[in-house]
Amino acid sequence: MAFQLIREWTGIQQFPSATQTKLLELLGKLKQENVSTLTILVMGKGGVGKSSTVNSIIGERAVVVNAFQAEGHRPMMVSRSRAGFTLNIIDTPGLVEGGYVNDQVLEIIKRFLLNKTIDVLLYVDRLDAYRVDTLDKQIVKAISDGFGKEIWRRGLVVLTHAQLSPPDGLSYDDFFSRRSEALLKVVRQGVRMRKQDTQDFIPVVLVENSGRCNKNESEEKILPNGTAWIPNLVKTITDVVLNGSKGILVDEKLIEGEDPNQRGKLAIPFLLAFQLLVVVNRIKKWINDDIAKEPSPYWA
Amino acid sequence: MAATGHLLTANLPPSLRRRHRKSLSPPTTTLSPATTTPNPRLHPIKCDHSPIPQNPKPLQSTTHSPFPPPTKTLALSAASGLLIHLACSIPTLIGDGGNTGGVGGGGGGGGGGNGGFWSRIFSLPAIAKDDDSQAQEFDSHGLPANIVVQLNKLSGFKKYKLSEILFFDRRRWATVGPEDSFFEMVSLRPGGVYTKAQLQKELETLATCGMFEKVDLEGKTNPDGTLGITISFLESTWQSADRFRCINVGLMPQSKPIEMDSDMTEKEKLEYMRSQEKDYRRRMERARPCMLPLAVEREILQMLREQGKVSARLLQKIRDRVQQWYHDNGYACAQVVNFGNLNTKEVVCEVVEGDITQLVVQFQDKLGNVCEGNTQFGVVRRELPKKLRQGQVFNIEAGKQALRNINSLALFSNIEVNPRPDEKNEGGIIVEIKLKELEQKSAEVSSEWSIVPGRGGRPTLASIQPGGTISFEHRNLKGLNRSLLGSVTTSNFLNPQDDLAFKLEYVHPYLDGVYSPRNRTLRTSCFNSRKLSPVFTGGPGVDEVPPIWVDRAGVKANITENFTRQSKFTYGIVMEEITTRDESSHISPNGQRVLPSGGISADGPPTTLSGTGIDRMAFAQANITRDNTKFVNGAIVGERNVFQLDQGLGIGSKFPFFNRHQLTITRFIQLKEVEEGAGKPPPPVLVLHGHYGGCVGDLPAYDAFTLGGPYSVRGYNMGEIGAARNILELAAEVRVPIRNTHAYAFAEHGNDLGSSKDLKGNPTEVYRRMGQGSSYGVGVKLGLVRAEYAIDHNSGTGSVFFRFGERF
Repeated sequence: MAFQLIREWTGIQQFPSATQTKLLELLGKLKQENVSTLTILVMGKGGVGKSSTVNSIIGERAVVVNAFQAEGHRPMMVSRSRAGFTLNIIDTPGLVEGGYVNDQVLEIIKRFLLNKTIDVLLYVDRLDAYRVDTLDKQIVKAISDGFGKEIWRRGLVVLTHAQLSPPDGLSYDDFFSRRSEALLKVVRQGVRMRKQDTQDFIPVVLVENSGRCNKNESEEKILPNGTAWIPNLVKTITDVVLNGSKGILVDEKLIEGEDPNQRGKLAIPFLLAFQLLVVVNRIKKWINDDIAKEPSPYWA
Repeated sequence: MAATGHLLTANLPPSLRRRHRKSLSPPTTTLSPATTTPNPRLHPIKCDHSPIPQNPKPLQSTTHSPFPPPTKTLALSAASGLLIHLACSIPTLIGDGGNTGGVGGGGGGGGGGNGGFWSRIFSLPAIAKDDDSQAQEFDSHGLPANIVVQLNKLSGFKKYKLSEILFFDRRRWATVGPEDSFFEMVSLRPGGVYTKAQLQKELETLATCGMFEKVDLEGKTNPDGTLGITISFLESTWQSADRFRCINVGLMPQSKPIEMDSDMTEKEKLEYMRSQEKDYRRRMERARPCMLPLAVEREILQMLREQGKVSARLLQKIRDRVQQWYHDNGYACAQVVNFGNLNTKEVVCEVVEGDITQLVVQFQDKLGNVCEGNTQFGVVRRELPKKLRQGQVFNIEAGKQALRNINSLALFSNIEVNPRPDEKNEGGIIVEIKLKELEQKSAEVSSEWSIVPGRGGRPTLASIQPGGTISFEHRNLKGLNRSLLGSVTTSNFLNPQDDLAFKLEYVHPYLDGVYSPRNRTLRTSCFNSRKLSPVFTGGPGVDEVPPIWVDRAGVKANITENFTRQSKFTYGIVMEEITTRDESSHISPNGQRVLPSGGISADGPPTTLSGTGIDRMAFAQANITRDNTKFVNGAIVGERNVFQLDQGLGIGSKFPFFNRHQLTITRFIQLKEVEEGAGKPPPPVLVLHGHYGGCVGDLPAYDAFTLGGPYSVRGYNMGEIGAARNILELAAEVRVPIRNTHAYAFAEHGNDLGSSKDLKGNPTEVYRRMGQGSSYGVGVKLGLVRAEYAIDHNSGTGSVFFRFGERF
């Protein structure tokens, strides 16, 4: 998989020119900071639009999308290079299966990521889902258990299906902030981070992958609030990459967890001393008590 | 039995002693309720004069003591019972011993179960004796029927058959029935055949025993040629007494009665009497106190008070009561030999308690001849209870204990513990331990053929495999109970490398010396074993996880120190090589798993620490067991705690350094007080059990703790719940006795404490196990087998299991 073909990023040319300039500008900015590779991990529940988002960013149908069925159980990495800059986007299967977090899928994703560095995590959910539940929390927890809390310093919450008309009596911005607030709360709980950390670090980005997405005068796809979302997304990603935190290198240790055989080894001499001096002596004392207490037969 | 009885009686002090208290009351005085014996000298005489030399048997068996000393025989029958029924009767004996404890303490005069047991043994020869004499020929008396014949009118050449024996009490002027205590003093039996001399001897014995002032014997002829005997007597009586004293005259020389010259003057007689009295007082002073408890003494005092005059019958009763107490308490050789100080206010009961003067260990060869033994004396000596040492009073329970202890050495094929009267020391007992040694060396070969399905599932000639076991044993090396044993087992001698189990063990007991009170045993062994790993098993619904076999081979040396029979401390070193193999015996460094697609991949959890499938390691091992459980009517009650520790030393593949520890606590709580004794129902018991296992440091999969199985959480298969670094098991069981077995209900829980993930490769998760589980169920114990219905809580299904042995 390491030798996966890295193709030229041709899809970028299909973007409207305004978008193209913005993107190239951002890539240039990254290059200035000596970042020539960007690996983005996309995770989330099934059917929220992870693959579509990947396709939207790349600008071509790199990943098969099926509206009604999950496609494949394996992660997919899409790599594109442009002017010496490589963009890797890893699409993953949905983490939820039958109402539970599927540990096996997570395991497969981890194995897939072995020896790769994750620069950005896109945690994808839908904007038009009104409620959050414990399942969301479990997913967040599974991700942080699997890759460590640190990954959320490189995380973004992506809300798809952004083009919606909010319920009555709520403005779009209002709805968006309420929804993102609720989701961030869940993320905070799942990660068990302190409140201010998340507010500072996890940005929320809106995405609309539909072909019927409104466009502005320069043919850029825009959100109901008027921002062109692709450049916005890439800009946020760039910001996150450049926020000073480190990328997450997925190595053996991260996958296996800390070697349990090494844990507490230093304490063994103390434990042994305790066992021999306290436990064994205690039992010896009990035995002596038994001997003293044992009624001698009447004839003795 | 008669013969042994003989030995004993022969040495007992002549109990007839004449002491005149006052010249006024001439013939009376002492004593001797005659437990004991006739004058031993009489015996040979009688034998010589026997008119039926061709049939000496009745002479021997009709012991000529006025009482066939029942107590004595009891002691001996006890001993012989032990030696005859060594293998089978021990359980009975144990039960019996427990029973008499209660009776002795009460002192309420109840007979106790003991007598029943002994009498059963005793009655056998008694019946045989009767048969013997009845079968004999007899001569008709040759006289007219229904006339009364004096003893001296009988012919000395005839053998008379007695049809009946009547007792006539002249004082009460009534015939006494066979229930009267005097009846047992006569050795004549209705239906027996006796000569005149025998009858005369009998009469003489009765007359001199001191119980009667006067006694006569007369016959009444019957038409069928037999003779009815009437013994008329006048019971001796003495002054009433209000004090009772029991003294131990064991090992004291018996004062020899000096015949009084009939032509002594009145003054001389008085002098003589005084000196006699003084002698007796001195004797009483020198006598040691005896064991008889106050309660019994008080009881006897009560008897004395109620009775008023001291009569022979009363003395007999006192004797019986005193002896009964001794015998109930196991002092089988204790005897009342004399009553002294009669006709004063005090009755002095002289007892020989049966002091052990010597302890002899004797070895016998196969034919029963005394021979030089291989076993050293110290080995036997340390098994003997203190109460069997020299200077102690012989107690049958101590004898039984010695027998059990020696038997547990497993060195002897036959063990006899025999109390024998000490001829040189009157009243003393020599405890003789006779041992027959087992063969020191033994070898055994057992073979079996197994037919393995060959190609096409059909057995062929090549598929017949010869298998079997070869073992040898060399026991009791140097006479110090050291032993060397080895065995090799294979299922195929033609290809033994396929499956070869071997064991070589050397056991060295008494590490601190045979005479040291410390009991430490050194064991060293080479071993190998092959077990199916319960770590690589599937959870519920996961079918067919490819199995992993764990082969271990190594050396082990440990020292066991026994504190009690059950509590002990073991510590030692183990060096072993562990190889993990798959079904086809290939070394497999990883467990296999079934992929969702149905294929099998060999990238499961690692089986060994080194990752190669072969580990070598050395570690120290310690185990301390505290066990004070005991059986109450067959139900186990008490507490058992075990702490086990394996400490890795950093020697071996990947330098394994670990501390693996387990603590088990099991309590058997008796829920109801019950009376103890053979045949009594056992109490209901509540069993509480907890087991914690944990490991810090390197933990290969084969050393992980597994949950589930008949000795972990019932209702699950071995390892079905999980395999983890730390585990906790809790169990409770209630046992209720039903008829002669018990039924039980249980609930158990096993938990990995979240430590499954701390085992490399997390086999619990890989094989889809829960990591925790509970079960509950009910069962019945059927002999050795437990039949139980258990419901496992994880899947909610129940099933029936049959298991051998106990869970706890």
